[in-house]
Amino acid sequence: MVKAIIIDDERLARTELRKLLQDHPEIEIIAEAANAAEGLEKIDTLQPDLVFLDIQMPGKTGFDLLAELDRAPQVIFTTAYDEYALKAFEVNALDYLLKPVEPKRLADALQKLETIEEKESTIHTDGNNGPRNILGEQDQVFVKDGERCWFVKLGEIRLFESVGNYARVFFSTHKPLILKSLNALEDRLDEKVFFRANRKHIVNLRMIDKVEPYFNGGLLLEIRGGEKIEVSRRQAVKFKEMMSF
Amino acid sequence: MVSRISRYWLCQGVGWGFLVLINVVWAYTIDYDITWKMIARLMTMVIIGISLTHLLREVILRGAWLALPYERTLTRLFTSVVFTGFLCSFLFLGSHEVLGISELDPREKESFLNRVLLYSFNCIIVLMIWVVIYYLYHTFQRNKKRELDTLKLESLVKELELKTIKAHINPHFIFNSLNSIRALVVEDPQRARSAITELSNILRSSLQVEKMETVPLKQELDIVKDYLALEQMRFEERLQVDFDIDEDTLQQPVPPMMLQTLAENAIKHGISKQVSGGKILITSDFVGDHHEITVRNTGLLNGQRSLQGFGIRSTIDRLKLLYGADASFEIKDVPGDMVEARLIMPVQMH
Repeated sequence: MVKAIIIDDERLARTELRKLLQDHPEIEIIAEAANAAEGLEKIDTLQPDLVFLDIQMPGKTGFDLLAELDRAPQVIFTTAYDEYALKAFEVNALDYLLKPVEPKRLADALQKLETIEEKESTIHTDGNNGPRNILGEQDQVFVKDGERCWFVKLGEIRLFESVGNYARVFFSTHKPLILKSLNALEDRLDEKVFFRANRKHIVNLRMIDKVEPYFNGGLLLEIRGGEKIEVSRRQAVKFKEMMSF
Repeated sequence: MVSRISRYWLCQGVGWGFLVLINVVWAYTIDYDITWKMIARLMTMVIIGISLTHLLREVILRGAWLALPYERTLTRLFTSVVFTGFLCSFLFLGSHEVLGISELDPREKESFLNRVLLYSFNCIIVLMIWVVIYYLYHTFQRNKKRELDTLKLESLVKELELKTIKAHINPHFIFNSLNSIRALVVEDPQRARSAITELSNILRSSLQVEKMETVPLKQELDIVKDYLALEQMRFEERLQVDFDIDEDTLQQPVPPMMLQTLAENAIKHGISKQVSGGKILITSDFVGDHHEITVRNTGLLNGQRSLQGFGIRSTIDRLKLLYGADASFEIKDVPGDMVEARLIMPVQMH
């Protein structure tokens, strides 16, 4: 059973989607929300597997909602006509449906979701047993930077860099800013994978190419994207400890 | 600018150079001697000619003669050429006397004044040719520019038409309506049927908009009512609609789809952004000697719907195109947390 929430500001649109989903008994609609604030609250309390999300809503948009979540659930966007919004997505958007929704398209989207879930559960049977509020490598976050948006698996992120109240996220060729402090991120990230190298940087240990000694007993890490990060002396001790077994 | 100035000087150089060449060839073929005196005379001709024509050009430019109606331009040009011709002749022959390079044998005693008068005809002919070339060149340039301006204006009008049409059928609205209708087919078939009619009316009128300059307010209002009925179907209790229309204004001509654009704006910026929804109030009345239409919606302007906003820009452009300075448009916050868009148009008597 897949637990799903429908978020759309129009009642008729929610009714219509509910009706279409009657053909898919594996989807259980556990709640509806009429705006982003309500949706945010329901996602937090009910922890759904899947969210059907309208993009244009009063107050905050669907994108704003996702950017506020620590851990993005699987999302299928529903929109009437939004060429700009759809362009905003990079390749890894899960899927989107254009309203009025074609039943065949809905079936395809749900099928795609199922194959992704299967793949993940085979790769990752051991993981995700830790406390729920620690983010694992397979967890995805939603990153919005101006007009562009990405769904990013934490495992794909090489580096977080502190920029004032923001953090710059390095993955593939992009480095957008997110409104989160480095300290808040450190608390939520799995410390077996993400290491606080110094005051300004958190690095993904699996993305380190080279380790060199540096001044004052520190270390210099070369990350896969070519970035060079200094490890402070205090953290270098910890780093060596972690790497030695 | 640089290329224009240099083109002018190029023409001056070529023209006067050509005249010198003719004189030299003429002298040579008639079997005259080419004397130093003659070359000196040609030099004074070039210097005086270029100075005077340049002065003439300054006068033409300062007085903007070419912008006058062409009869007056021609009269002025002709008079100035005759005057300059005499001046030219006087300076030319005078300088010869002073410099002692006169063409005539000092023994031949023709009075200086007579010679100046006779020689003026030569000068006038040369200056006439100069002015004709100058005039034709500029007339040609101006026609070309005017043609270009007309083309630009035409394309602007086309673009405006296209933009207004595109702005009117908001695809987001159409697809959302269709989606709502689909839900209503099961829930409330009667409402679904009327919604389809409303949507067809809007689509039809937006296709017709390009054909007419103005439509009676009543016709425009019908579309807006259909439109708002559909939006009410989507927003349900979140949208309240109210009209306050003076019956006498119903036959007044208005630009098609203009009120519709304002209503759409009101929904887009006012209602759809508010979680708890809001109210739209449309009024039409005679105020003073003008016809005034207002669209009010819940919300704040907040600078976000500045005059650069697309729907508003095209509304202002269309009004200007239709009524010139007789119409106006403004949008502002009014008391009661409302935004008001106000259209003022001239009254049409029937």
